[in-house]
Amino acid sequence: MHRFLFLAFVFSSVVAFAAPQVSEKHAADMAKGLALFKSDVRGLLNQHCLKCHGGDKVRGDLDLSTRVGLLKGGEEGPSVVLGKAASSLVYQLITHSQKPYMPAKADKLTAASIKKIADWINLGAPYDKPLTEKSVAGKGMQVTEDDRKFWSFVPLNKPLVPRVKNTVWSANEIDHFILRKLEDKKLQPNGSAAKRVLIRRLYFDLIGLPPTPEQVEGFINDSSPDAYSKVVDKLLASEHYGERWGRHWLDVARFAESHGFEQDYDRKFAFHYRDFVIQALNADMPYDQFVKWQIAGDEIAPDNPLAMKATGFLGAGVFPTQLTEKEFESARYDELDDMANTTGTAMLGMTIGCARCHDHKFDPIPVRDYYRFVNTFATTIRSEIDLEVDSVATSEAAVKWEKEHRPLMEALAKFEKEDLPRRFNAWAKNPPVDTQQKAGWMILDHLQAKSLDGATFSKQADGSFIVGGKNPANDRWVLTAELQATGLNAIRIEALTDKSMKRNGPGRASNGNFALSDIRVFATPKKGGKKQVVKLINPKATHQQNTGGLSVASSIDGDKRKSGWAVDFGGIGKEQAAVFEFAAPVGFEGGTVLTVEMDFFVNTSHTIGRPRLAVTAVPRPVAIKGDGRAASLATLMESLKKAGGADKLNAKDRSQLMKIYRAQDSEWSKLNNKVQQHLATKPKPKMEKVQVTSEGFKPTKHHADGRGFPHFYKKTYFLKRGDANQKDGEATQGFLQVLMRGGKNEKTWQVFAPENSRTSYRRLSLANWISDTQHGAGHLLARVMANRLWQHHLGRGIVNTPNDFGLQGELPTHPQLLDWLAVELIEGGWRLKPLHKKIVMSSTYRQSADYNAVKQKADPQNKLHWRRTPARLQAEVIRDSLLKMSGLLDARMYGAGTLDERMKRRSIYFMIKRSKLIPTMQLFDSPEPLVSQGSRPATIIAPQALHFMNNGQVREAAVALAAQFEKKTDDKEAINLAYQTVVGREPTELETKSISAFMQTQAGSYKAAGRNDARKLALADLSQVLFGLNEFIYVN
Amino acid sequence: MDELFQAQQLNRRTMLQRCGMGIGSLGLASLLQQEGLAATPNPLAARQPHFKTKARSVIWLFINGGPSHVDTWDYKPELAKRDGQELKGFDKFTGFFSNAVGGLMKSPFEFKQYGQCGKHVSSIFPNLSKHTDKMAFIHSGHTESNNHSPALFAMNCGLPRMGYPCVGSWVTYGLGSESDSLPAFVVMSDPKGRGLPKGHAANWGAGFLPSVYQGTHFRPTGEPIDNLKRPKEMNAEQQRRQLDLLKTLNQKHFEANPFEESLAARIESFELAYRMQSAAPEALAVDKEPEHLRKMYGLDDDKCKHFATQCLTARRMVERGVRFVQIYSGGMENQRSWDGHNDIHGNHTQFAGETDKPIAALLEDLSQRGLLDETLVIWGGEFGRLPLAQKSKKPGRDHNPHALTYWLAGGGVKGGVSYGETDEIGHKAAVNKAHINDLHATILHLMGMDHEKLTYRHNGRDFRLTDVAGRVIKDVIA
Repeated sequence: MHRFLFLAFVFSSVVAFAAPQVSEKHAADMAKGLALFKSDVRGLLNQHCLKCHGGDKVRGDLDLSTRVGLLKGGEEGPSVVLGKAASSLVYQLITHSQKPYMPAKADKLTAASIKKIADWINLGAPYDKPLTEKSVAGKGMQVTEDDRKFWSFVPLNKPLVPRVKNTVWSANEIDHFILRKLEDKKLQPNGSAAKRVLIRRLYFDLIGLPPTPEQVEGFINDSSPDAYSKVVDKLLASEHYGERWGRHWLDVARFAESHGFEQDYDRKFAFHYRDFVIQALNADMPYDQFVKWQIAGDEIAPDNPLAMKATGFLGAGVFPTQLTEKEFESARYDELDDMANTTGTAMLGMTIGCARCHDHKFDPIPVRDYYRFVNTFATTIRSEIDLEVDSVATSEAAVKWEKEHRPLMEALAKFEKEDLPRRFNAWAKNPPVDTQQKAGWMILDHLQAKSLDGATFSKQADGSFIVGGKNPANDRWVLTAELQATGLNAIRIEALTDKSMKRNGPGRASNGNFALSDIRVFATPKKGGKKQVVKLINPKATHQQNTGGLSVASSIDGDKRKSGWAVDFGGIGKEQAAVFEFAAPVGFEGGTVLTVEMDFFVNTSHTIGRPRLAVTAVPRPVAIKGDGRAASLATLMESLKKAGGADKLNAKDRSQLMKIYRAQDSEWSKLNNKVQQHLATKPKPKMEKVQVTSEGFKPTKHHADGRGFPHFYKKTYFLKRGDANQKDGEATQGFLQVLMRGGKNEKTWQVFAPENSRTSYRRLSLANWISDTQHGAGHLLARVMANRLWQHHLGRGIVNTPNDFGLQGELPTHPQLLDWLAVELIEGGWRLKPLHKKIVMSSTYRQSADYNAVKQKADPQNKLHWRRTPARLQAEVIRDSLLKMSGLLDARMYGAGTLDERMKRRSIYFMIKRSKLIPTMQLFDSPEPLVSQGSRPATIIAPQALHFMNNGQVREAAVALAAQFEKKTDDKEAINLAYQTVVGREPTELETKSISAFMQTQAGSYKAAGRNDARKLALADLSQVLFGLNEFIYVN
Repeated sequence: MDELFQAQQLNRRTMLQRCGMGIGSLGLASLLQQEGLAATPNPLAARQPHFKTKARSVIWLFINGGPSHVDTWDYKPELAKRDGQELKGFDKFTGFFSNAVGGLMKSPFEFKQYGQCGKHVSSIFPNLSKHTDKMAFIHSGHTESNNHSPALFAMNCGLPRMGYPCVGSWVTYGLGSESDSLPAFVVMSDPKGRGLPKGHAANWGAGFLPSVYQGTHFRPTGEPIDNLKRPKEMNAEQQRRQLDLLKTLNQKHFEANPFEESLAARIESFELAYRMQSAAPEALAVDKEPEHLRKMYGLDDDKCKHFATQCLTARRMVERGVRFVQIYSGGMENQRSWDGHNDIHGNHTQFAGETDKPIAALLEDLSQRGLLDETLVIWGGEFGRLPLAQKSKKPGRDHNPHALTYWLAGGGVKGGVSYGETDEIGHKAAVNKAHINDLHATILHLMGMDHEKLTYRHNGRDFRLTDVAGRVIKDVIA
């Protein structure tokens, strides 16, 4: 019954379309056409078209399985014009009169077949029934075994190394693959380039810097057979290698250090990812680990700071800084798309993002696969966390420290046990009068406190005051106390907690905070005299809100209104204290009136709620901690007097008094100081703020936090046309079906998170799949990376679309070689350096750039590598080389970058701020870090020439280089050195002649202008000319 | 004579032929489309469009911050009638401030009819209103986002996300440049210290297109272009001698490698650069313009002097073959641009006052010089504004992605027409709705390009300015 209805529909549609022009002839034509369809055309369509157009796939949106689909056509419009085969798109494509030629990637149909199809169109293109019983159009793409047969998806097998006729040229296996293809075309490769050329090629390629004249000469004079190999090893071991090759990876990772969009906020701690890349490459970290850590380093090796830094990869994309409620969810899907897409293109050369709105048009990635893949990252967000870096060094140092500390502690303990009681007893017989002031913090409990704006102070038993009454927007307190003590070294302001305040304080603000904008101390002799300002130094606090405008130091920074000590972010609900030391001892003979003025202007109604003030005479530096003893000491002394001797005190009082005494005992102090001083050297873990991309950490602050931006959504949905408002069921984690083999599904790689885990382990699951060469995507991972290495060494990838290994990508020129390299990579434990070496040791790599018209004609793009194609240096290499040659290069590695073009470190250490990209880098084609970039163009535009002519940094390098040449007093020698430095060779006679003439005229003109550094300027002009040489910027 | 100098006799034409700088013959199927291309000879060489049209250049006056259509060009008498009424069913999250939604609010400006077409224009444009017969209005525009930078990206790049090439980059990629001594694509931003448009340089970025196609942003203060001034210790002759020596040496090197096309292109690039040093300052020298013209633009009027300078510069640029000029009126948000959240009356009076006379003068000047036919002038911002009041001491209007007005003039545009309509209060585009993709398709069409064929393959996909949509609005084309 069902079948019948379906057929009826087909027939009726035929009628419907034909209706306007029904005629007898038409009916006859249709009948003839139907016969032709049944006899031949159906078979042809089934055999050659259906698979991609209505069978497994609906490529180009064209579904030929029904006549409706045929007439509707695809993206290119209707596929037939009924009755007019010649004007029909289908006909034009199958006759190869228009691209894309059809059938795709197959032979042209025979003339007879084409004629049958043409006749059928001319007769009205009737169908008797659909080509397939069940059209999948509209039901989504099915991924089949057939799809897995595409060259890049098939498993890796190490190909046999081909035989070649020329038996002397090859240096290693690579050359056999290259030579075989050349020989097939009856071509021979070039021989080796000159040593002078080779060493520059190697230096620029492997470390991105030129060799010095000495390095060039050293290599040329080294006639040992492994001279070349030694240079390769040296360069691969150089730390500059990571800085050069790391930059290639950062392009692929769309790495930048700001959000982009409205405000383009800085991501101050994102540079750690860049450092991870450099460090990992230098350490020759296995590539599978390199990839896995970038996806899930926080789940794989959470205790290793480097693995945490690696996760910067996923979070390096752009993200809006301002969001409206309407944008929350779509912005998050955009962010997930960025993570999925970059992972796909960077690691697998798969353009996963193309399946966001619909099934991938070319590759077997259904839209379902996309959302299941995206689910991997659902709860993954950017966070800034404190990481202990170099924990190994810290723990080693701790052991050493402990060893040194023990004898000091023992000496002190011995003294306290054997000597101290005796000395205490002796002292206690006749304690000196000034005991009190040396005893630590003296609480100013007799303070007179006054608020200028109406707050009240009620005195507490512990010497503190509870502030009550009006809570003015701004307030100034004036606190005065009379003291007898002299030699005072510091004042302490305690901010105690109390239930009278929100969240128990310690401040009266609505969030429990306070902000002390300024504090001033004055001392007046009680006997009469001038009020003197007490200078406050060395501020410290138990906690401060930040290290800038809300730090304790900012309470004495001269600014009385805008900055000052506050304690939010960790200090609310806890007792806090700040100590300010006096620059000179305070206290007059005969007594002192101490005045303390405290301002609270930083924020509205942000006063302290329960202050307590104390001063001390203990020597500086003064510790914050230590109890005040205003009351208790007096009591103790009273008890001592009553008891008539220290030995007669009760144990508690005795022990308390002993503590006060010992601070005054010179022997004890000496021993204790040693302990204290050594304590200060106790190795602290080195903490660094690092941007990570993980789960469960506090999200990086966002503008829209106040609007309730959730940062992530726990669930992922299938979206219609990529629209977050059109949800179509929940998506759980899955991987790309086309890259799961042997009947496996995602469960094979999924790891379930342990109980109470901070993260979901979905990224670890992805990492497992992506690196599994057996049943997962590992084979493609290896192919893509082997291709990237080849691409940067040879100037062109074996697959010339390094970010697209799918059906739209270019096919490999040497598929066997690529597979061989990929297997070599895996078999070598995924280490990159051996593969680099293999490639640069090959004769293919070492070829000369010599031109040959015949070969050029046979292979104009040098796809077969019959020669070396000269390449323009990349932006970073140009700049770094100028710095290196001129001696200005600052070789410091790692750490935060800068936007200042004048910096002298390697260009990889520029900060990459999306709205302020470094102009010089952009000028020479450094890409915008928005999406993954697999290769850079090498443009030639006039502003680049202007850069070499007029740029301040270029000129500075030229002047610095001239200073080196100037030491050679003979012009000819100077020119020689200049040539060797910049292009690694001596100038020809003709060149010397031209340059000498130039030098003379130029120096003459500077002299005439009254310059006494005419020669140096002429040499600087010359250096600049040499920087502009094509021979410098194009490396053969 | 130095022997090496003789080698230079290889003349420029031979060299250009050899180095393939006549890339125009390849048309749009440029080699650039291939990823990983080792060298690209002059990617800015002028190229033929898909089909012949009048327009050669574009000047886009970007009315930054979101101009209110109902207070400028989209006359809504019904709004006056319903002034103060609540708009039932209004989604309070349409704009940016959901907590300040007021009632419907009539325009504080008076509208009168102008020109043969009888177009109603707000009183804030006393000068521009004289040119309505040159303008084609699109009233039914609508966009994707209610937030500045996504909306700016959408208007400039077609998608409300970061990372896509802007219209100027696409046009330059498609057509190259007709000037060899000026940047192909120039952007001027607010010089009054009010900041850059939100999203900054991404608004004129080339996205995944090669970076040569990104807009050259003239620094609002100081030297407008990098590296135009030679090192201070050097005079012109000394630099010329330097370049002569460089040419001699590079020429010799080229002779030894005569088949490396990029070497010749680079030799030529130094000569271009040398010319640029004088051409660029010359093009910027608006003070060379006659007194009456400077007055016409408003250079003597403090209120609009800055924008007048930019408009006059734009004319000098297109006259010299620059392909695409974009000028931003206003800086970032709120009172710094047309973003009239507070006091729509004061805000729009101010910014119209800054731009009315200069833009009118630009149209007049282009027209008098016969340049208007080949210059497409575009006026519009990132979104429109709501017909409701945004509550404030002096009421303003909030963002409105559902309706916006653009006008086009010159460059093959049919003057005096109005396309599409908003609903009767100007809340949403209602008749003949025109998405920003349609606007972009129309702009490309006016420049002689089929928006479906102007593609660039990146990471496996052929990208277009109009993504998967876009329809040319034929009604505004002459």
